Amino acid sequence: MSGRKVIPIVPHGQLATNTGSTALNFRSALPLSLYVHIPWCVQKCPYCDFNSHEARSGIPEKEYVAALISDLESSLPLVWGRRVGSVFFGGGTPSLLSGEAIDTLLTAFRSRLPLLPNAEITLEANPGTVEAEKFAAFRAAGVNRLSLGIQSFNPTHLKALGRIHDDRQARRAIEIAAAHFDNFNLDLMYGLPGQTLEQALSDVDSALAFKPPHLSCYQLTLEPNTAFAAAPPSLPESDCCADMQDAIEARLAACAYTHYETSAFAQPARQCAHNLNYWQFGDYLGIGAGAHSKLTLHDRGAWEVRRQMRWKQPKEYLAQVAAGQPVQEEFSVAATELPFEFMMNALRLNQGFDAALFEMRTSLPLIGIESELRRAEQEGLLERHLQHIAPTDHGRRFLNRLLERFLAERD
Amino acid sequence: MQLQHIRNFSIIAHIDHGKSTLADRIIHLCGGLSDREMEAQVLDSMDIERERGITIKAQTAALQYKSRSGEIYNLNLIDTPGHVDFSYEVSRSLSACEGALLVVDASQGVEAQTVANCYTAIELGVDVLPVLNKIDLPSAMPDNARQEIEDVIGIDASEAVLASAKTGQGVEDILEAIIKRIPAPEGDPDAPFKALLVDSWFDNYVGVVMLVRVFDGTLRPKDKIRLMAAGSTHLCEQVGVFTPKALQRDALRAGEVGFIISGIKELQAAKVGDTVTLADRPAAEALPGFKEIKSQVFAGLYPVESNQYDSLRESLEKLKLNDASLHYEPEVSQALGFGFRCGFLGLLHMEIVQERLEREFDQDLSTTAPTVVYEVLMRDGRVIQVENPAKLPDQSKVEEIREPIITITVFVPQEYLGNVITLCNQKRGNQVDMTYRGRQVQLVYEMPMAEVVMDFFDKLKSVSRGYASLDYEFKEYRAADVVKLDILINSEKVDALSVIVHRANAIYRGRELAAKMRELIPRQMYDVAIQAAIGSNIISRENVKAMRKDVLAKCYGGDISRKKKLLEKQKAGKKRMKQVGSVEIPQEAFLAVLRIGK
Repeated sequence: MSGRKVIPIVPHGQLATNTGSTALNFRSALPLSLYVHIPWCVQKCPYCDFNSHEARSGIPEKEYVAALISDLESSLPLVWGRRVGSVFFGGGTPSLLSGEAIDTLLTAFRSRLPLLPNAEITLEANPGTVEAEKFAAFRAAGVNRLSLGIQSFNPTHLKALGRIHDDRQARRAIEIAAAHFDNFNLDLMYGLPGQTLEQALSDVDSALAFKPPHLSCYQLTLEPNTAFAAAPPSLPESDCCADMQDAIEARLAACAYTHYETSAFAQPARQCAHNLNYWQFGDYLGIGAGAHSKLTLHDRGAWEVRRQMRWKQPKEYLAQVAAGQPVQEEFSVAATELPFEFMMNALRLNQGFDAALFEMRTSLPLIGIESELRRAEQEGLLERHLQHIAPTDHGRRFLNRLLERFLAERD
Repeated sequence: MQLQHIRNFSIIAHIDHGKSTLADRIIHLCGGLSDREMEAQVLDSMDIERERGITIKAQTAALQYKSRSGEIYNLNLIDTPGHVDFSYEVSRSLSACEGALLVVDASQGVEAQTVANCYTAIELGVDVLPVLNKIDLPSAMPDNARQEIEDVIGIDASEAVLASAKTGQGVEDILEAIIKRIPAPEGDPDAPFKALLVDSWFDNYVGVVMLVRVFDGTLRPKDKIRLMAAGSTHLCEQVGVFTPKALQRDALRAGEVGFIISGIKELQAAKVGDTVTLADRPAAEALPGFKEIKSQVFAGLYPVESNQYDSLRESLEKLKLNDASLHYEPEVSQALGFGFRCGFLGLLHMEIVQERLEREFDQDLSTTAPTVVYEVLMRDGRVIQVENPAKLPDQSKVEEIREPIITITVFVPQEYLGNVITLCNQKRGNQVDMTYRGRQVQLVYEMPMAEVVMDFFDKLKSVSRGYASLDYEFKEYRAADVVKLDILINSEKVDALSVIVHRANAIYRGRELAAKMRELIPRQMYDVAIQAAIGSNIISRENVKAMRKDVLAKCYGGDISRKKKLLEKQKAGKKRMKQVGSVEIPQEAFLAVLRIGK
């Protein structure tokens, strides 16, 4: 098997000429999060394009837990001394792991990394794999936020989405989650095959009945390399989906949820710290099969923003970790790409961001994208107040158009 | 080779009647190419020719044939294009011959194009030798076909040779008939050299190659030649014949067909129809030559991405080296940017040029709808030619607009006659003649060329299930009640979308065009208003409703690279669209007028 490849997109020496300024120079450390990927599911959903694999013959829990710890250990030199603000167990279906496994992992993380005392620790769970004792064990291990992939309360739609749970299981899972966690999130999807506006709103109302601190409402999108992409179901018209979005946003606003990101809604002070860190272009170390990392670091005498991807196939990942090479691919992001990458994340936040955040996260002066900002402003996609930049309502709806303005030109 | 052992002939046939197959058969039989070199339809050397099954450029083959009487003959075959757009090439080729084979599909009978080319041959004093091809088909009806030739063309077909180019049956009989019935060329090998420049093209290695038919005298390498019309002198470097491979010879003599290479760098310097003679011992007078061919159809060709303008210009320059009938000049459009207005012989010629630019030169093109040339009589008495509808002067300054009228001849089996007449009437045609010719009917109409350019040919084929055939020739310019139809997008006139239409059709066309544009323009961030207008009069209005949102539902840490690629792809797709104000218009919308009613 091949070892890890280092693919610098732009050699370090050329950064200066590409940006027209000096090389990257970060003055303060970026906040750091830890992402842990659990790549197995009971069954693969037809719309899902995440790195998940059906666990037909159970999962090699012990081996995988050990691999995650050794993966983290090999990555420690890249994040030495930095404090971790949040941990997120994502998947796949992390709730397939036992409470003991999560406990082992969190203990291992704490002993190797300075975890902030109030760190948010989220675990994703599938309503079809819920047991009360397991949730209690997760809580005892230190998980303080649960995210449930409810998607819908309509049995027909759940079936169309290939979910393993029905509406009864969904409600039961939320009750158990709410009993063990004061902080939890429900994932909902709209624009489902055959769904009407009323049905979409009814799903939201069902969710609201549980007073979730956080709600994520995604429009179903057909992603490449999924079962749905190969055999597309008939989805509601795009205007109908837009109506659903408007109605959902209005309903949630009326119930005092803050719409803080494209698809995310929260009660006061319940925004997801881990995801906010992504959207504020913070750093993250991702461990586990197929996990991605973005790390700002000083290496070989220069600053760089490095992206990494770990081996995707669980078997291969385990083998590569054993060989001390969990990373399959890594490269340094060109300075010219940083403004776009920052915007792609930060403009998802309805509140926008301060100019200072741009400069802290990219180490580039905002003046470098002044003409793009001005153009977007003239087009009514963006607004600026003093040092604050935010998408307009129009820009929020046409975020892709807004982001295009910041894509670096290439031939 | 003695003159009496030379025969120069070409083949006249409709597309699909087996001309190229027969040519290949003849070449093979005469040993012009080995089996290994025989690629189906060798004379159609361009990819496009082979794919479309048509011949565009005339090609020649000098062949050796040992007749049944045991004598060796030199047969010069000059292949001709079969499509109406290239009929000028046919008359050129025929000028170099004493005889022509008229190949008629014995199962289908005579077609319009064949008749026209046959008349050209007769006018040029070329003997026509009928051949009934595809005789092996069960549906072959040689007696009917023979009768049709006599009725329609008016030549004796009683001795028509029965053949099948596919099986080879009768091919030797054809060669014997050529020897017996086509006269040998006349000419004096010792007289001052005189040859007709039949065709010329550019070769990357040797420069311009001139295909000539020698009428008198002898030419050898190192001779100094003179092009009589151009008045230029050149040193003859090589002479030879095509077999169809190029074969050098020590001389070209009276009666022969062959090539001359003399280091000419520009195709324009070797104009087809010129007379080649010797500088030291010139012919007393030049040969009659050919009429200059005028472009009949114009269209704007623009690079999809504006930075490809220079590359498109270079490609056009190169293409013109081999296609003297292509004309182009720079043009600027508000909507499409910098590009070229190009003149073509006809629609097929236009399609072929586009296709060659795209395939051989890797150009990415935006094309405007084709248009004919209008003659405009201005109030001040000037007459101007308008090749671009956007450039039609303001109505207040125009006294009269004249449009080109053509005479079209259609051959159609009786069962489709009604359909074809209806179509011709829709296209503003005036019936001139209708004659029953056996199974077929010959229709003659006068029709505005603009109607034919749009979609007439496609429609003719579809209403006749492909059986009708068409020939046309320019008749005259005639005053016409035509108007300019403009398309406005968000109240802004889009120059590249203007068309000139007959006033009677203007409202219908305007509505259809606006409706088609609505289909072709994708939804954008804001409503897009599409209007069709004649002058300041809005005759139709359509609306492309704004899309409601364009945003990725999910984006987390691991998604960045993939979602970035997605947006980059979206942006690249938009780069291919043309920007009019704030509206993005896709390429195909500029050809919308051709897609009306489909």
